[in-house]
Amino acid sequence: MILELQHVTKDFEGLRAVDDVSLSVDEGAIIGLIGPNGSGKSTLLNLISGMASPSAGKIMFDGHDITQKQPDAIFQLGLARGFQDPSLFFQMTVLDNTLLPVKYQHGEHPVWAILRGSWMRQERAHSVSALDVLKKINLREHFGKRAADLSGGQMKLAEMARSVMGNPKMLLLDEPTAGVAPNLAYSIFEQIDAMRRDLGITFLIVEHRLEILFDFVDSVTVMHMGRVLAQGSPTEIAANDEVREVYFGD
Amino acid sequence: MNIDFFATAIALLTFFGIAALMAISLNLEYGVAGIPNFGQALFVSLGAYTAGITYTRLMPLLAGQEVIFPCGNTLNPALQLRTEIMRTLPGVGLANFAITLVIAAVIGGIVGYGISYLTLRVRQEWYLALVLLVGGEIVRIIVRGYEPIICASNGLSGIAQPFNWLDNAQLASILFALMVVGFAFAAYLYSERLVRSPYGRLLKAVRENERVARSLGKNVARIRAQIMFIGSAMAAVAGVLFALNIGFVSANDYVVTLTLDVWVMIVLGGLGNNKGALVGALLVTVLDRVTAIVAIQLNMLGSEFEFNYLRFILFGVILLLMLRYRPQGILPEPQHTTLAHDMSDAS
Repeated sequence: MILELQHVTKDFEGLRAVDDVSLSVDEGAIIGLIGPNGSGKSTLLNLISGMASPSAGKIMFDGHDITQKQPDAIFQLGLARGFQDPSLFFQMTVLDNTLLPVKYQHGEHPVWAILRGSWMRQERAHSVSALDVLKKINLREHFGKRAADLSGGQMKLAEMARSVMGNPKMLLLDEPTAGVAPNLAYSIFEQIDAMRRDLGITFLIVEHRLEILFDFVDSVTVMHMGRVLAQGSPTEIAANDEVREVYFGD
Repeated sequence: MNIDFFATAIALLTFFGIAALMAISLNLEYGVAGIPNFGQALFVSLGAYTAGITYTRLMPLLAGQEVIFPCGNTLNPALQLRTEIMRTLPGVGLANFAITLVIAAVIGGIVGYGISYLTLRVRQEWYLALVLLVGGEIVRIIVRGYEPIICASNGLSGIAQPFNWLDNAQLASILFALMVVGFAFAAYLYSERLVRSPYGRLLKAVRENERVARSLGKNVARIRAQIMFIGSAMAAVAGVLFALNIGFVSANDYVVTLTLDVWVMIVLGGLGNNKGALVGALLVTVLDRVTAIVAIQLNMLGSEFEFNYLRFILFGVILLLMLRYRPQGILPEPQHTTLAHDMSDAS
């Protein structure tokens, strides 16, 4: 088990956004997190990634208690996240975006930065890796473009490429196909599946396009009004009457 | 009209070098890292006050003399003592100058680091802007009212530049101007290297989206505090050179308008571009000096028109025009800044 949430609760001035959620994710799995708008999915991702602190409960990642840790410290442990809205650094190039999350860069220090010899070789190696990753998602020729000049789908792919460069053990994705054309949305999930297969990355994905999500996930957790309503395989969830009622409105 | 053009050019070069240091410092902080430092006058003043203290306390000690309190009844003997040391013991003057630069840079850096680390932890960088703006005024008012630092509102004179011992005053001015420009050039090179490195990439990421930078493992508060250390240290060095150039330290020279002048320089030149900061510093310095000269000439001709104030109007108009028609400045920030692009182009 790589991620475990124990009775996690989050209150916002009287409003309980996440209510006593317990959840566990096995290493190498792709887990879907679904639910109607306002059910607490994005808040849960914020709690796991350190963007917000739980009011109660405990979050364990890869053997570490990350409940009160800052996002940068959580990332260093190998837990990365994507955002619902495009979150590239738009004025920076695709290459700079991709290189940014690489850990232990010698040139990321105000003293060593001016001594080029201390980081040039490492930077060159990182650039080669970054270009390889960009090539796999057909963005190799766009490396020098400003991120703002990419299409919506390319932005999502570039975000994933950036996450991979941080060498994460687990990725939290918040609607990775939002605003993306259907054919590209499917290909984004194919990339996710390839990353799991080739790099062993575990995924927890919030997604509304269930027809695509269900093709790729190992199991699904359904949230409703801040609580976990159901957990199971895509087939089980699709057949769950309670889920159908609150989520699909049947 | 009686203008010594050579002396004017040397003075212009010196003022340009000092302005360039300030502009590069603010460009690094705001243009590259997105930290709105509205306390440029504070950090420049820290350098000037440091010079005031070392020239009156440290220099006599380095010369093996007794320290004379520089204000009140002992003002004249203290002034005579430091003038004498500067004239007869050039080694002491130069050593005192070097030590002053180091102390000023360290004080400026520590104050910048400390304030930014405390205020930026609340994740509202505009708090920092306000703290620095108000902090600069508070320090100025304290210094103006507290005698031991620079004799309160009287200020300190006889803070001579380190080549003052030379018999040839023109040569001394040229050497000082070259040294000041040398400091500015060194700051430019350092800043360029930072911007082209992975650290420059990090600074821009922090500028663009702090939340995402944090989610990618970057300690934003520490990075901002680091860059405030560097920028504030540069500004404090500029403050030492400023005080030495005019030979006088007065709290009234470090008001908010100084901060605004530096902002005009970087907006005019192009935010995020070190070359732009140099261009902005040059334009503002030329405009500043030209209006000052015209004001003096008009006064000598008996005009009652106070031309100096036109400078503020001109700066305001230029700033408005730039923001309206060319917000990216004369030299916009280049897209491919880090060296990784050069390597990848070649691969």
